[in-house]
Amino acid sequence: MTKLGVDERWDLIDKISKKTVTFGEYKHTLKDAIGELTVKPLTGIPIAIAVLYGFWSFFSSFAGFFTDGFFVKLFDEHWLLWLQEIFPGKESWLYYIFVGDPSATNCFEAFGVLTSGFFVAIGVVLPAIVAFYLILTLLEDSGYLPRLAVLIDTILHRIGLHGYAIVPTILSLGCNVPAVAATRILETRKERFIMMTILAIFIPCGAQLGIMKEVIPDTMGFVIFYLFMGYLIFGFILNKIIPGKTPEMLIDVPPYQMPTAQNVGRKLWMRTSSFFKVALPFVLLGCVIVNVLYLTGFIAWMGDILSPLFIGWFGVPSETAGPLIAAFLRKDLAVAQLSAIEMTKYQMISAVVLVSIYFPCVATFAMMLREGWKELLGSIAVLAVVVTLYGGLLHLIWILLGVA
Amino acid sequence: MKRLSSIYFGILGVIALAFGIADLLVTIGGSGLSFGILEIPCDAFRGGWGGLIILSAGLFYLAGIKNISEIHQISKVMMGSILIWIIAGLDIFAMITESIPGGDRSWFNTLEGFLETYAPPYAPAIFLLPFSLVVFYYILKKERNILKKEKDEE
Repeated sequence: MTKLGVDERWDLIDKISKKTVTFGEYKHTLKDAIGELTVKPLTGIPIAIAVLYGFWSFFSSFAGFFTDGFFVKLFDEHWLLWLQEIFPGKESWLYYIFVGDPSATNCFEAFGVLTSGFFVAIGVVLPAIVAFYLILTLLEDSGYLPRLAVLIDTILHRIGLHGYAIVPTILSLGCNVPAVAATRILETRKERFIMMTILAIFIPCGAQLGIMKEVIPDTMGFVIFYLFMGYLIFGFILNKIIPGKTPEMLIDVPPYQMPTAQNVGRKLWMRTSSFFKVALPFVLLGCVIVNVLYLTGFIAWMGDILSPLFIGWFGVPSETAGPLIAAFLRKDLAVAQLSAIEMTKYQMISAVVLVSIYFPCVATFAMMLREGWKELLGSIAVLAVVVTLYGGLLHLIWILLGVA
Repeated sequence: MKRLSSIYFGILGVIALAFGIADLLVTIGGSGLSFGILEIPCDAFRGGWGGLIILSAGLFYLAGIKNISEIHQISKVMMGSILIWIIAGLDIFAMITESIPGGDRSWFNTLEGFLETYAPPYAPAIFLLPFSLVVFYYILKKERNILKKEKDEE
């Protein structure tokens, strides 16, 4: 092989570029102009508001179609009745663990592994997760997500993050586990810590959103708003407290393009199946453990111990101790459990907020541990402060409004 | 063509703006409003959030009508239409998802019940939808003109 000299190499480069590169004046296309509109704050913010509306509207209609339209009927009128009929030993602890309350008329309130466990996982979480990941994939593949990152960069810098933090933020609306892994795209330890902490505390996962839609459909907007405000306020505070830098963002924004069905299908399958591999065992195991804790009297005992804090500070009934313990295993399951406790509308909002900001579920916990035990301990310390302050603040708001 | 398009999208912009403001006012008022086949929702999601988007669509149209043949101006008109497609498209999707399940009685809806779901009254975005599609005709026509001009120059 002969070595080329400097001039010969330049000649070769010239020849290749003449054959492969087209020279001329670049004309702005409609796609370019629309791309510019989506990153400029004045025009980009209304577009982002519309995209979020679309996201939420599709999520509600799609999940509602499957859950309310078919799964509720399938599980309550067929599956539950069949299990109650064929499962032996109505008074036994095995019946209580697997089928749940023998007098239950719907799967939400039964709390058995085979009733609530399956209903939550398949009837509620599956449609919610599919809807969420479908929209996420479309936004990603069309090229909107990087533009959203550019648009939101200024706001996220105020909380010690940069625009790309929108990726773990949106991902965690599906599941906190991949979102914690996605914090690796952030450059500094400070950014990763802030992101990991506020997403584990303030962002409800798709499963939780699906259950919230079932349990508190009228007040869900308020809960989400309250959590979103917490995301910004505590992000801002953490940015001031934690030492370290937040570098500027440099990203290559791809042109807008039509997502292909094959790519969307493949991504949707990959994300949904991996979510279920993580979530399903925890939902079912969660049901078993929570039922055992109820049977042994542990949850009643915890409720008694924590009741001054729950009643006095948070303004919720002491029975919410059970769902809070269950929240460590699966938050969606915990929100479902709240629906069976007698509470006022405002107590229910407080309880759902508490379950959301309370300790991340065990799968997220394991993921955070993989990122570093120091970060995990730091996040837990922040979480303890946030739960106490933010949970108490909500109670104070109800007192000031005269509804508590 | 240019003048006619400006007038057309100007009128559409004013109507969208009016619908957006009406949506927001009705939401603030707290009770829905119905005029024949037009219904303005009063819930915070469709009336409030959706109204804000319709209002933005109107502003996009109005911002794009001056010198409409310029690519950056057309993109604003196009964006106004996209916002209407998001709202109207998802309203139609919601109708479809509501029309299929049968509720408490049966698994699937009856034909009568199915068709009833699509009956009026409709939200403002649905009325704006067909008129917003004209942007496609305008863009295609413009592209054809450019191609023709380039051919003539050759």
